[in-house]
Amino acid sequence: MTAVVHPPVSLTVNGIGALVLAPPQTRLSEALRHHLGLTGTKVGCDAGDCGACTVLLDGAQACACLVPLGQAEGSEVMTVEGLAADPLGAALQRAFHHHGAAQCGICTPGMLMAARELLAREPTPDAAMVEAALGGVLCRCTGYLKIIEAVRDAPRFRDMRAAPPPEPGAAVGARLPRLDGREKLDGTERYGADAFPVDTLWLRAVRSPHAHARFTFGDLAAFQAARPGLVAVLTAADVPGENGFGIYPDMKDQAVFAEGLVRYRGDVVCALVGSRAAVAELDGLPITWEVLPPQTDPVAALAGPPLHERWPDNVLSEGRMVCGEAALSGTHQAAGAWETGFVEHAYIEPEAGFARRVGDSIEVTACTQAPGMDRDEVARVLGLPLAQVRIIPSACGGGFGGKLDVSLQPMIAVAAWRLNRPVACVFPRGESMASSTKRHPARITASAGCDAEGRLTAFHFDGIYETGAYSSWGPTVAGRVPVHAMGPYRVPHVRARARAVLTNHPPAGAFRGFGVPQAAIAQEALWDQLADAAGLDRLEFRARNALRPGDTIASGQVLGPSVGLVECLDALRPHWLAARAEAASLGDRGALRRGVGIACMWYGIGNTGMSNPSTMRIELSAAGLLFRNGAVDIGQGSTTVLAQIAADALGLPVTDLRFVIGDTALTPDAGKTSASRQTFVSGRAAMEAALDLRAKILRLTNAGPEARLRLDGATLWADATALDLRGLTLAGEGRFDPPTVALDADGQGVPYACYGFAAQMAVLDVDTDLGTVHLRHIVAAHDVGRAVNPTLVEGQIHGGIAQGIGLALMEEFLPGRTENLHDYLIPSMGDVPPITTILIETPEPLGPYGAKGVGEPALVATAPAILSAIRDATGVVIRRVPALPHRVLAALHG
Amino acid sequence: MYDFAYHKPTSIADAVKILAADPDAKPVSGGHTLLPALKHRLNQPSALVDLSGIAELRGIKREGDTIIIGAMTRHGEVATSDIIKSAIPALAHMASTIGDTQVRNRGTMGGSLANNDPAADYPAAAMALGAKFQTDRRTLAAEDFFQGMFTTALEPDELLIAIHFPVPKKAGYAKLKNPASRYSMCGVFVADGAAGIRVAVNGAGPGVFRQEAAEAALSANWSPEAVAGVKQDPDGLNSDIHGSAEYRAHLVTVMTKRAVLDAG
Repeated sequence: MTAVVHPPVSLTVNGIGALVLAPPQTRLSEALRHHLGLTGTKVGCDAGDCGACTVLLDGAQACACLVPLGQAEGSEVMTVEGLAADPLGAALQRAFHHHGAAQCGICTPGMLMAARELLAREPTPDAAMVEAALGGVLCRCTGYLKIIEAVRDAPRFRDMRAAPPPEPGAAVGARLPRLDGREKLDGTERYGADAFPVDTLWLRAVRSPHAHARFTFGDLAAFQAARPGLVAVLTAADVPGENGFGIYPDMKDQAVFAEGLVRYRGDVVCALVGSRAAVAELDGLPITWEVLPPQTDPVAALAGPPLHERWPDNVLSEGRMVCGEAALSGTHQAAGAWETGFVEHAYIEPEAGFARRVGDSIEVTACTQAPGMDRDEVARVLGLPLAQVRIIPSACGGGFGGKLDVSLQPMIAVAAWRLNRPVACVFPRGESMASSTKRHPARITASAGCDAEGRLTAFHFDGIYETGAYSSWGPTVAGRVPVHAMGPYRVPHVRARARAVLTNHPPAGAFRGFGVPQAAIAQEALWDQLADAAGLDRLEFRARNALRPGDTIASGQVLGPSVGLVECLDALRPHWLAARAEAASLGDRGALRRGVGIACMWYGIGNTGMSNPSTMRIELSAAGLLFRNGAVDIGQGSTTVLAQIAADALGLPVTDLRFVIGDTALTPDAGKTSASRQTFVSGRAAMEAALDLRAKILRLTNAGPEARLRLDGATLWADATALDLRGLTLAGEGRFDPPTVALDADGQGVPYACYGFAAQMAVLDVDTDLGTVHLRHIVAAHDVGRAVNPTLVEGQIHGGIAQGIGLALMEEFLPGRTENLHDYLIPSMGDVPPITTILIETPEPLGPYGAKGVGEPALVATAPAILSAIRDATGVVIRRVPALPHRVLAALHG
Repeated sequence: MYDFAYHKPTSIADAVKILAADPDAKPVSGGHTLLPALKHRLNQPSALVDLSGIAELRGIKREGDTIIIGAMTRHGEVATSDIIKSAIPALAHMASTIGDTQVRNRGTMGGSLANNDPAADYPAAAMALGAKFQTDRRTLAAEDFFQGMFTTALEPDELLIAIHFPVPKKAGYAKLKNPASRYSMCGVFVADGAAGIRVAVNGAGPGVFRQEAAEAALSANWSPEAVAGVKQDPDGLNSDIHGSAEYRAHLVTVMTKRAVLDAG
């Protein structure tokens, strides 16, 4: 093609004239980010689906990824970077911060710009106006409600200053705006794709288009030589260390670069490294495929040829719970089968980052939930000792379990190591969705019995969890499900089994709840049937059977005092009665049927019967108070929560703390951000570190335990005693590993040190002509032990509920067919109803200030509560989720 | 994205001249369909002809009993136009249901009609209202303009200038949206106008089509009950992950009823 010469495009950006030397068909998002360096505008899909790139074009919101630069010629463009100088924009930023409307922050620029457009024409919008105006921007973290609150409340923030920080000792329990909030609101936060070395090369993974195939390469050297700008084509032969990764130390079964055989549509066969333009061109890559029949059904796979030799029956892992007698007893019995699909994490930030070689060490800067595990994987792949690998987490634009496994890290590390140049990589949305891990599809059969008074007698559960092509977190799911399968109830006789079964589908891994949300759908549906059979109200049936402090669970563990399920149900009861009464009072509404549903859940915090320690370190010197916190904040708020805990334990205000977060060279290992563990495990470690530092201070100042501390420059005051910090570094270190006992083959042991509990109810209308479900209200009562930061806890609950709505009603990943955000549906702003959040605090003795985790508990009860409400409305038990309209309609007429 | 020429003419004549001279050049209006297609190399034009600089392609006016809408008029302008809201409120309502605000701020009526996506909204309104399509060289009836999935009667170098909608006695629209893209799973536009009583369906089939049984039923008795018994044959309808052909056939009846209710 002949070169085309384009004149520069002139436009105004945030009030300043700009000339962009780029072809006019360049996407405006690309021009802003790469040509003008305004990386506050985020790219989540490049297809107009996610809205993260929303900017104002002559005052009107537009997806910058769909606007050719040439169409913006002569226009006024406003981006997130321009908001602070604009009174409305600044008010929105303050309101978002105050209300906790930004979690991971990747959608926040888009949300703010859409809101800015709205407020300019409608200063006092109602909720429906906000939903209409911001409905084109997807958020995966917040559940949208705090965003709506913030937009409606923004006028109040035009002249309002931020609230003063809490007094020393009063941080725990305070609604402290997140400490890492400002960067998420002004566009300065650096996510995986936002900052690369200027001389970086680009890596593009070449992935299998086939679910199962053998392949051979032709002359790759000739392919490379013929393409200027292409620096290398990397294959398995280029991996210096072990060509494998995986979560479990004995299961490194996923290759960085496949060796002649691919097992799913997404396996990497090689990688192109070079200029951005050079790696964009795949035509002519010499590769020959021999397509093999794929194994795509987990039940068939049990009797099919093995995907991996070491798992001859394709059962990767099996977990059991055996307690009491094997027979299914009970005056009333119920049974059924349920099916769930793959669910995609759909974080709005696709995987991105870069690696560079520094002498004999490698540094990887990327979005991640697990820097310590990334370091282990990269070290093994490069054949380096851990000390020569440094992981520097970028800001993480959503994770939900999907950024626990490595994705691009081993590839870019190999490339940077081999080429001794920085190497960057950003997954396009389609690649992210095709290749990343998913929630396990489950096929569940379950049955249960209760006595005439409605007391549960027995529960049987068999779950086939499709784990895809590689092990990832499959064993974790198979281990966790049988412990939780009967839910938070007293059940004397239990038989539960979960098997993780390999297929030629994308690896199923960790996704908020590790298999428990699927199990809860079956368990809670059975309770509804048994409650009806026993003639009991569905809430009272659950209250009668609810676990209480001191109960012995199926694993033999005796529960401690922090079991607040009865309190959750008590809190729900008035809402339940009111909603049921309203439903009963409704007259004929044509095709509409009202339903009210309920579900409970429990969730063990941390790893299952396995060590999962965290270490925190806080240093005091003349330079100030430095919190070395290795826990990655993926939006949930651990940076803020751990600071609140540490500040109170130390006796200094939160504002004295400075942070190093996540960097493996500068922080001790806090373990991964998963299993709802950071508040409980790392929070306790932070508390211990702060107490350790406080004890050292008190010793040096000879002060009593109640002494009031004050930091004033290089002087620390303990009451009236001054400690000169010059030349001194005091360090407090804390470690916590929740006490557990490994489970035996029958699931006996102490799987978790503590549990979160919740009860949720859903109120909805089913349109029986269309099969559609319209959610009207959700009430969520959660026992969180202690709400260290109620705003952040509510944010977790809202966001979890939104994902539960997706699981119940919308989301189903079909490999090869829904690898974008318009065929794969996640809840948008109008899909989340008002949520009433009720926080129950039954202090957990092991937790910091009594706190437990809430990240995953938020989600588990939502889908079963919605399905319970659909059954209440229509009498139909939904057997397969998501309950898409055509499925609901078929069930109604089936 | 690979490089190619980019033209931004300011008159219809210039745009047509460029298109005529280069058979592989493509006009771009709002860009919301074309840019993703370029990325995936589904479309590899030699040049883009950006129509956004042509003032005469934009605007809404009433001439007697006809509403004339310029091809580059954006969905948001159609949704909020006082002229359309008073003359054909169902058309304004339809425009307000297209996509999200970003799409309505950029997407154009002409772009949508010339693309003729089976799940797009406007073709049903054009068909039911008996709209006329004015191009740079001729005027086409709706029945002749739409030629099936992503296909119209437009020549490669022919430019859609404006769409002429006869003002109906009454009209209504109802659709079930895809929850993410807000594309139509099935939408029905009913009209009682110059072209008689018409019922046009989008989203359900490979292209917009008229539901003649419903038209006959409404001609005899304009009421939701009259169409309750109309059965759409699922044969040939779209079947995808969002809904089977049978489901869409069912929706045709339900949405026709609701469109009649909407029309009043």
